[in-house]
Amino acid sequence: MTSTTILSKIPAGCPMHQAGERFQPFEHKGMTDFYASVRPEVPIFYAPSIDCWVVTRREDALAVLRDHERFSASNATAPIVPWPEEMHQFLRDQHFTNESVQVACDPPRHTRGRNAAMTFLNMKKFQNYEADVRALARSYINEISNSGKDIVDLVESFTYEYPAKVAFLLLGEKQLDARKLKQWADLRIKLIFGTLTHEQQMEAARDLADFWHFASALVEQRKKKPGDDYPSALLAARAGDDSILTENEVKSLVFGLLLAAHETTTNAAGNLLFELLKRPITWQAIVEDQSLIPNAVEEGLRYATSTIAWRRRAKVDVEIAGVQLPRGSQILLSLTSANRDEKQFADGEIFDIGRSNARSHIAFGNGIHHCLGAPLARMELRILLEELTTAFPKMRLEDEESISFLPTLSFRGPDRLPVRLNR
Amino acid sequence: MPKLTFISSSGDRHEIAASNGASVMECAVEHGIEGIVAECGGSMSCGTCHIYLDQEAYERLGIPATAENDLLDFVNAPRRPTSRLSCQIKVDEHLDGAVISVPQSQY
Ligand code: HEM
Ligand code: FES
Repeated sequence: MTSTTILSKIPAGCPMHQAGERFQPFEHKGMTDFYASVRPEVPIFYAPSIDCWVVTRREDALAVLRDHERFSASNATAPIVPWPEEMHQFLRDQHFTNESVQVACDPPRHTRGRNAAMTFLNMKKFQNYEADVRALARSYINEISNSGKDIVDLVESFTYEYPAKVAFLLLGEKQLDARKLKQWADLRIKLIFGTLTHEQQMEAARDLADFWHFASALVEQRKKKPGDDYPSALLAARAGDDSILTENEVKSLVFGLLLAAHETTTNAAGNLLFELLKRPITWQAIVEDQSLIPNAVEEGLRYATSTIAWRRRAKVDVEIAGVQLPRGSQILLSLTSANRDEKQFADGEIFDIGRSNARSHIAFGNGIHHCLGAPLARMELRILLEELTTAFPKMRLEDEESISFLPTLSFRGPDRLPVRLNR
Repeated sequence: MPKLTFISSSGDRHEIAASNGASVMECAVEHGIEGIVAECGGSMSCGTCHIYLDQEAYERLGIPATAENDLLDFVNAPRRPTSRLSCQIKVDEHLDGAVISVPQSQY
């Protein structure tokens, strides 16, 4: 069935049809209001522009995430605008052999990738990084302090690079160029979740190949000289046995981490700071009592969800919220909408850092693909707030209107956060 | 089908007939036992399926694997000698009659 015939089968007066017509998947402005207006009546609707069934309620989104038998993750990172053959050819010529190992795989393939990744991406390992992460956060604070400026952009001077540098710690590389990594990742995000023109795609492909060569070279180095880091742990898990993990899969996991670990966290940090600084009383509350920070982090993840939507595909005929979907249907789970669902979160449209069940959000997904970096991301966000509230307690947002959000299907984060430090 | 008794943090008891081969976490979720969050769906990364077993059942199962033991250090409610991650326990006849206490919080 084509996307227009699906929509034409839903009566025009029906709220489900209207929701599908009103929905703008790439426009962040007004998105939460849109979901709040449809959620009570429309648990699921069809969005023709992206050929996806959009799920708006927490309960249904959770059920899909937990049911990997019937819902495949194979489309989770599929490009919205298909890559042209010319680009595929170019990437082949560049020996770009990245393959899906984890986030877009189903068991049993997913299980092997995840098991290997978990030997390093786990709470015990992450705990060892607390001091390094704090030192890193302080280095950004010092730079801001020493700049002598009254007004700084917190994205530019802190949150843009910080999670990438933490990712480098996991890779065992302190001296890498974080800006370069960020550029690579920004482009890759646009390649998958954005709407690029042909020229932009081809340009991005060149960077993609660079990015891959970088990940491959890193793994090659660790083969010769292993350390206590993610690539070495994957190689150790592999133990030279292709039936456990191939070398190309190791490279692909490292390549994948370079994206998963920082873009999301940069966005989450920006969103969290934006919500807190928009509300000087709330900011003041965490300045005065830092024990409120961990729950403020959860409320930020819930209320200003940074991975706004995530995809699945029906492996068999399924029913979601009473609607029958044929096998092969694409599903977009709105994590943003789920995280404000009134059924779980009383007054869900209100940002409340004291909310007792804030952590029951699904900003990190749920089920077998549940974010492996969640404990680390939480630590990064907590330390960010602890250090900023200590260093610049009187900081205030400036020029709020100048802040905008990059138009992608799955990610949301402010492009800048100008603040007056009021030292 | 082995019988399992869950005791909630407020003392309510629920007896369920568990399916052989499933994990204790899966049976608990299937029967709507409250307090077992299991964010990671049993992939042993979240530590939100923590339970306390009765001493006898704990001993029958033998010691948990290293990775589970490591993660048990990070659970939210106090770790006790018979703490386990319920997603790592397969239901079989050995488990019949086990009494499982659900901690007050998972995070
Ligand atoms: C606030 C920051 C972050 C957010 C919002 C976030 C969100 C997510 C989401 C929504 C998923 C997909 C879940 C699903 O398919 O059900 C995911 C998967 C993943 N994330 Fe994160 N993430 C963050 C930070 C990180 C960090 C710091 C790391 C690494 C250190 C990381 C590593 C991963 C990995 C490896 C997966 C794939 C798991 C799998 O498929 O088994 N993430 N994340
Ligand atoms: S369900 Fe996550 S550790 Fe058991």
